[in-house]
Amino acid sequence: MPVAYPSGTISEHTACRNSCAVFDVSHLGTLVVTGASAFELLQGAFTNDLGRIEPGRAQYTHLLDPDTASVVDDIIVWWMTETTFEVIPNASNTGAVNDVLGSLADGLDVSITDTTDSRAMIAIQGPTARKVLGAVSGDASAVGRFRITPFTFQGVECVSAGTGYTGEDGVECAVPASVAPAFWDAVVAAGAVPAGLGARDTLRLEAAFPLHGHELGGGLTTLQAGLGWVVGWDKPAFVGRDALVRQKESGGYKVMVGLSVDGRRPPREGQTVLSGGGVVGSVTSGNFSPTLGHGIALAMVDDTVPVGDTVSIDVRGTEMPASVVALPFYKSKG
Amino acid sequence: MNVPDDLRYSSDHEWIRAEDGKLRIGITDYAQDALGDVVFVQTPEVGATYEAGDAFGEVESTKSVSEIYAPVGGTIVAVNEDLEVSPEHVNSDPYGSGWIAVLEPADPSALEALLDAQAYSALTEG
Repeated sequence: MPVAYPSGTISEHTACRNSCAVFDVSHLGTLVVTGASAFELLQGAFTNDLGRIEPGRAQYTHLLDPDTASVVDDIIVWWMTETTFEVIPNASNTGAVNDVLGSLADGLDVSITDTTDSRAMIAIQGPTARKVLGAVSGDASAVGRFRITPFTFQGVECVSAGTGYTGEDGVECAVPASVAPAFWDAVVAAGAVPAGLGARDTLRLEAAFPLHGHELGGGLTTLQAGLGWVVGWDKPAFVGRDALVRQKESGGYKVMVGLSVDGRRPPREGQTVLSGGGVVGSVTSGNFSPTLGHGIALAMVDDTVPVGDTVSIDVRGTEMPASVVALPFYKSKG
Repeated sequence: MNVPDDLRYSSDHEWIRAEDGKLRIGITDYAQDALGDVVFVQTPEVGATYEAGDAFGEVESTKSVSEIYAPVGGTIVAVNEDLEVSPEHVNSDPYGSGWIAVLEPADPSALEALLDAQAYSALTEG
């Protein structure tokens, strides 16, 4: 996946907000977890409660460090059939997730297979995504939000999921490598604008979706990113549960907030956030918002900094005023 | 990449056009392409004085931030205020409406030490 195609990040971003963009997200991993104990393994490993969904549905979930509750990875789980799941980690974390699941699978009736290299993952996103994809496959485009459905393309079995990472309606398709280039070409021919990593990042930032390595992991937990809903607190156990409960009960941790600046200058990761003459945190992701026309950032700050406060961001020695704002920065009207 | 013959260049990817003893400065086509979509330009203050090699501004894209360096020493006599609302000119017209500042050189002969188009092309192709 390139940072940008020749049209550039901003025009790709705008295409996704106004019509339809297509992203090659094949770098996401796929671990196929199958067997009579597959549910038991994943229910005991990940934070979210698989009891809330059923076969044919997708769920966003986390894998935590057992001692610190730092997020090892944020993951989408596809529940394919009663005893088969596809676990979709971030590219660079696939090995770590595979290792943890492998160690927990000891003595269980389950097998884990990394099938990442056998398929492409193509995300079609935007207000007209379903219309565009419908010209390629009606079955694929009809999938509901957070549901998964099989479809065929050129006679080959594929899977469509009603998920994405842009803040727009859309679909992500797992397509076997043999037909992936033809599928991409068909989606582009139907009107989707190819978009790269740069637009993927500005889109997810406007939607205030955390990115692993920025707002998650490296010591940061599910709670700090404001994702308490991703935790099945009623489950008796999941990896890192005790550490997460301890953090929840003790409080006093840094939390993710949104910062908005008046001008176009982008805040940047690592810049210090100041309030009342002292350091209250730091920027974890920042950029120019193409939709809003000014700089925005996600930051981890002391939980005493309320929405509505004015803080400042240290931009290489100059203090840039910023407002603490409610998230997300952008919400689709669709 | 477009490298006009009638300009001088710095190894920091700026172009310099001599105009009646003053020097108009911008970033090259190669630089804007490498930066990606430019979203903010910090121009210098009119009247400010710089030594050759001093950072006098910043160009920020959706990817990164880059400093702009004074290619020769001198005093800023004009800046491109249009970039405040339309920084995309740096991408769409780097040698024209995307200019950044005009500098009056302390030593008019300093221009001769800068790269010509052929030398700059060799640098970017190397």
